[in-house]
Amino acid sequence: MTIYAVFFYIIAALIIAATGLAITRKHMVHAVLCLVVSFFGTALLFYLLGAPLPAIFQVIIYAGAIMVLFLFIVMMIRIDPEKTHRFPLGHYLAAGGICGAYFVAAVLLTLLSGPRARQPMPAATASPFDFGYYLFDRHWLSIEMISLLLLVALIGTLHLGLGRVGRKQKKGGGQ
Amino acid sequence: MIVPYTHVMLLGGVLFLLGMICTLTRRNLIMIILGLEIMLNAAAITFVGAGLHLQQIEGQAIALFILAVAAAEVSVGLALVVCIYRQTGTVDPQCIEGNKCQLKPDQTG
Amino acid sequence: MFSKPVPADSLYLAWAAAVFPLAAFGIIMIFLRRLPKAAAGVSLSAIAVSLVCAVCLLARHWHLEMPLESTVQWMASSDFEIPVGVLIDGLSLLMLVIVSGIAFLVQLYSIGYMAGDPGYARYFGFMSLFAWAMTSLVLAPNILQLFIFWELVGLSSYLLIGFWYEKLSASQAGKKAFVMTRAGDTLFFCGWLILLVWGGTVSILDLNHSAHSLSQAMVTASALLVFGGIAGKSAQFPLMTWLPDAMEGPAPVSALLHSATMVAAGVFLLGRLFPFFSQSDAAMTVCLFIGFVSMLLSATMAMVSRDIKQVWAYSTVSQLGFMIMALGAGGYAAGIFHLTTHAGFKALLFLCAGMLIHACETNDMFEIGQAGGRRMKLTVLCMTIGALALSGIWPFSGFFSKEEIMAALAAANSPVWYIGGLAGVFLTAYYSFRLIFVILLPGSTKAHGPGSQSGPEHARAVMHAVLVILAVITLVMGFFAESLQNLLTGQGVNAPGVHGPFPAKVVSPVLAIAGIVVAWLEFGRKDSARIGFAGRISPVARLFGQRWYLDHAYGWLVGRILDRGIAEGCQQNENRVIEKILHTVAGSVTACGRAAAGWHRAMIQSKLMVVFAVVFGLTLILLAA
Repeated sequence: MTIYAVFFYIIAALIIAATGLAITRKHMVHAVLCLVVSFFGTALLFYLLGAPLPAIFQVIIYAGAIMVLFLFIVMMIRIDPEKTHRFPLGHYLAAGGICGAYFVAAVLLTLLSGPRARQPMPAATASPFDFGYYLFDRHWLSIEMISLLLLVALIGTLHLGLGRVGRKQKKGGGQ
Repeated sequence: MIVPYTHVMLLGGVLFLLGMICTLTRRNLIMIILGLEIMLNAAAITFVGAGLHLQQIEGQAIALFILAVAAAEVSVGLALVVCIYRQTGTVDPQCIEGNKCQLKPDQTG
Repeated sequence: MFSKPVPADSLYLAWAAAVFPLAAFGIIMIFLRRLPKAAAGVSLSAIAVSLVCAVCLLARHWHLEMPLESTVQWMASSDFEIPVGVLIDGLSLLMLVIVSGIAFLVQLYSIGYMAGDPGYARYFGFMSLFAWAMTSLVLAPNILQLFIFWELVGLSSYLLIGFWYEKLSASQAGKKAFVMTRAGDTLFFCGWLILLVWGGTVSILDLNHSAHSLSQAMVTASALLVFGGIAGKSAQFPLMTWLPDAMEGPAPVSALLHSATMVAAGVFLLGRLFPFFSQSDAAMTVCLFIGFVSMLLSATMAMVSRDIKQVWAYSTVSQLGFMIMALGAGGYAAGIFHLTTHAGFKALLFLCAGMLIHACETNDMFEIGQAGGRRMKLTVLCMTIGALALSGIWPFSGFFSKEEIMAALAAANSPVWYIGGLAGVFLTAYYSFRLIFVILLPGSTKAHGPGSQSGPEHARAVMHAVLVILAVITLVMGFFAESLQNLLTGQGVNAPGVHGPFPAKVVSPVLAIAGIVVAWLEFGRKDSARIGFAGRISPVARLFGQRWYLDHAYGWLVGRILDRGIAEGCQQNENRVIEKILHTVAGSVTACGRAAAGWHRAMIQSKLMVVFAVVFGLTLILLAA
């Protein structure tokens, strides 16, 4: 077992533990903070798997931007965690059934995978230069589409956020 | 030499499962979106692992796209949640359906 | 091959004979509903063309040695094709001439008889429909085509029986005829389906020539089933009671459809498939038996009936029974020859009856006699000629054909048939002359003559002309026996010329004369009691008058077994089992739907769960593929 493997297992345990904590917290702030830890772990894992640029993006975008956005929203929306209702038992059972089926399928697929997938993967790194070159060489159109998507998301968010306010203002003006 | 690809896959699967559990069992819109993030993250991990396994950068590129899509989805989703919260005063998904909200009496009481 | 193709000009003639009445039907029903004179003209000219075509065909193929057949493919299924076409042999030629000839004469007669009826155009339209169906039936080369026109003939019969549909009894009689013949046709249908599925062919010539290569059981089964259809159409026992009721229609309709041609279609079919039937001894015996029973039963019914048309109707059933007996005994030519002569004299009898009924406005023969029916001298004379022919008195046509039949019966395996036939001859003569004497020699007549003479003078003249033509035909037909038999048997139908022993030739005319004498003793003498020997014993009279309680039996059968037993059982089954099952199924489907809808109505996460489950299932399928 190489040192990489040790790191992998440690990071994997960290990610799973943090995510597990995140999904079970009653307070959403706690959940988001746990998830930040999980995303940091993911970033480390990316780095370990030879993807330094996605690792950095993971930290900047996921752990930084998205999670902070979550924090803002969580703080904006005040909900008493003690007052939330629980689902009926049947719902939990059904969810457990489906998740169990997925889990069994995943384990079975892992066990049944071919010999090549059982070989330890060789370590390799795609330098940010290579990665960027590859990306803009092959996927320039997709990049443009992604940028468009982000623009649309931006406008949509603005619309959703402003629409109500605008109407309220109009109402107020009417009064 | 790192671990076999199957282990990465298993990690991705378990993460995905956790995200699924989160989306299915929490009565909170924000937590549902959080669960979606976890699932996307699991997918990204699997792609990066596959890229390493096949010695191709393609996997990383797709991980990057997943990141971008996640960012867009989260921003729109959270904006929607805010909207809904403003209109109904709750983020319980069952109450959004309108007619069978069991939460409101509790909230008021 | 058993046949040669039809020459082109004969083919055109045959098609023309069939198609002209159809065209007339279409034109009348579409354009001429309100123009009765034009309708009658169109219909008459169409049937005249048919008659000319038929006579030309007969003249052209008088010395036919081999059947002529021409077909075109109508439709093809995997391994058999269904052709349509024409089959010309002695039998179809003869029938074609009979059908078109009688139809022509009856339509001519109808011009006067139906004058002033509000449904005049409709009547001629239906008559044309019948003429088309019947000529096509006669020419059909395979059983499927024959069956189609068989049903069309049944339809036109239904329409014409119920022609005066305002009268309840008429529409009831139409329904009864339709349903009862349908019962037989269902058997017929099953019969030819058996032939088609296991025999592989429905072509009449193929069936007749290859019957011996089919298995005996199958031939017997299909022959018996087809015979069911024959019994229905020809009003044989036990499906005989519709024919007397069918007399609710106009008298010319009774003359054309229910005595001369349509009911003879059953006998025609039996003759058509005669070689096929003769492969099965059992089927032939059944033919003999059924013919025997219906012949005697209906003869006894005719002895007590007072309705003039019903007497002739019973007599029709009886004569058809004679024909079927003849065919069953192997006398192919005898049966068909009797069919030919019977068509002539029975049409004559019905048309005369129509004249009398029209004049006296009653169906009761005693009332007609008292009202002075005998003053219509020509009519009564023609009627007497018809009755003489019916009884089988020399030199009328009935004598010759009946002789043939008696010879065939005498040659049959058991003397019972022959004795029964002789009894039939006696009864036939008795009931015919009972009617004649009642009308001719009534005990007392009212002062005034028969009521209003029907129609204008020229129409009556036409009607009388028709009667005279038919009477002449009845007189001379018997002398063509030889050549007609040559025409019929000239094509390899193995019917050896049956010649009965000498006593047989004497016995039946003697019995017929005896019947006439008995009738004279009871009805004709000056101081006779005017009650038949059957009428003296009241239970017997009641038995005969009630048609041997056949209708009661049917009523009981339908009421008890169909209505109370089967129908009620089916209803119970429907209510208790099927509806319950349906309710359960529908309920569970609804419940499943509710449950499935519940997932979609519920909150996001239940939907999400469904999505996950479906994606999981799809993934499994993709992995497995």
